[in-house]
Amino acid sequence: MNHPNNIQAEDAVLLLRGVSKKIGGKRIVDQLSFDVHEGEVVGLLGPNGAGKTTTIRMIAGLIQMTEGDVFVRGSSIRHEWKKAIRHVGAIIENPEFYPYMTGYDNLKQYQRMNDWISNDRINEVVRLVGLENAMKKKVKAYSLGMRQRLGIAQALLHEPSVLILDEPTNGLDPAGIREMRDYLKTIAREEGISILVSSHLLLEMEQLCSRVVVIQDGKLVTIRTIGENGGSGQDEKDLVRVMFRVGHLEEAKKVFGNHEKAEILKVEPEQNELILSLRYKDIPDLVTALGSAQIPIYQITELKQSLEDEFLKWTGGNRIA
Amino acid sequence: MRSFNNLVINEWLKMSKKRSFFIPYAIIAVVAVVLAWVLKRWAGDMVGSAFDYTTLMSSTSGFGQFTAMLAVIFTAGLVSGEHGQGTIKFLLIRGQSRGKVLASKYVAALLFALTLIVWMNVVSFASGAVLFGTEHSSGAWRDILIASGSSLVYSIVYMTLGFMMGVLTRSTGAAMGVGMAAIMLSGITIPKSFYKYVLFPNADLSIYIHGGHPPIEGMTLPFSIVIIAVYIVLFLGASFVTFKKRDIA
Repeated sequence: MNHPNNIQAEDAVLLLRGVSKKIGGKRIVDQLSFDVHEGEVVGLLGPNGAGKTTTIRMIAGLIQMTEGDVFVRGSSIRHEWKKAIRHVGAIIENPEFYPYMTGYDNLKQYQRMNDWISNDRINEVVRLVGLENAMKKKVKAYSLGMRQRLGIAQALLHEPSVLILDEPTNGLDPAGIREMRDYLKTIAREEGISILVSSHLLLEMEQLCSRVVVIQDGKLVTIRTIGENGGSGQDEKDLVRVMFRVGHLEEAKKVFGNHEKAEILKVEPEQNELILSLRYKDIPDLVTALGSAQIPIYQITELKQSLEDEFLKWTGGNRIA
Repeated sequence: MRSFNNLVINEWLKMSKKRSFFIPYAIIAVVAVVLAWVLKRWAGDMVGSAFDYTTLMSSTSGFGQFTAMLAVIFTAGLVSGEHGQGTIKFLLIRGQSRGKVLASKYVAALLFALTLIVWMNVVSFASGAVLFGTEHSSGAWRDILIASGSSLVYSIVYMTLGFMMGVLTRSTGAAMGVGMAAIMLSGITIPKSFYKYVLFPNADLSIYIHGGHPPIEGMTLPFSIVIIAVYIVLFLGASFVTFKKRDIA
């Protein structure tokens, strides 16, 4: 599962190439290209109306593409849809089932549509999502969390290579969101399935995905590997932002003001905090300077730029929610 | 072929697992029994035997029109219901072509209409046998078959219209409304020559039984069959083209 960073397109499970959707002259999705590799969890991130759902629906063949194509394990969604869709499991928006049927009857419906799904496979996915005791209940008696899990079971039934999920944590409570995340991680690990998940919830994506594809107004903004940029300050020459919480704020300000290596970015008198910009390697010097001026230090924290900050920067500060 | 059968089984289960599924059958049974009793009580010599009663019940002028309404009502949601519930998203990403999925729904609707007519015959004959006996003249079976057959064709015509409306509008109400309204309006005949090319006067083939007079000059049994076939092909053509091309948003 360990891939070098410069992965070739050949081992991509899912490939998007110049995918566009035009509705009434407006480009909802515009020349979108990205890959999802074997066993990888990729996030499709963007503000509302960025074209995430349209993209996901085009991958599943629910919406026709105006231009470009999607390849799943080398088969084109446009020209060999049956062959391509066989490798795709999807939950698009909320998982909807026939409410008057039991969970088991609902899964049986999908079993009849793909003849290679055995009864053992149904039991296997039911166990995987932990719904053994709910299979004989009608779906209308399910909670949203249970419906989500049945949705995952449905998506895994035909042993796909890639799972596509559209806003899977929408409407779930914090416990449900966490449960969902754990399931997805388990599935990616145990079944070796690649996952493409769309969301506007940044923190979720940070915890779940190894890469994020950021789109806005239907266009690709950036593709980032999570966890790589978080380590700013590793390089000693890099400028970092550091928060100092001190005892005597005014005196500390004077000390920092006289110090040529630090620049005061912000003062927060209520919390006795100073936010500085300085080089990583100069942090000890400043601590010494404060110490020799008899200023008590309560806390020193490096302020890392979160994905959220970056996201706002990429998308020009548009509202996310 | 096996996969298509499985799709039809799926559609049938989606209909039959609903709690309301038995209602049309119950209505037919109650009406067949009550009407037989009423006829026996107040019009003793009007109905001679179970055969007469079954022919009367299953003809379009008897209870066949009502059966067509039941068929329209209970199949109106076949396509629009999937859109409304959102289940269409799972249905169409399972590697079965959209044409096949829609065809399986239409076949399930046909089976449903067929079971209604058969059921009506069974309960009518059973209640008729108890109350009027089973004496029969030659050709009694044929009369039942012709009456039921024309009722089935009549039901299929309006059900197909409702089916198309369901696909085009994605609305169960519109499908039901248009299907029902068409059945209501079908009784009105405009005595002009162009009107014979309209579906309504042709849908009821029972007008030709026993050399009956067609409502408009120039209409014959083969003519009506061709008109019905053309309209059904048009309705289905519009349904399939729309359903295959539609973006599921």
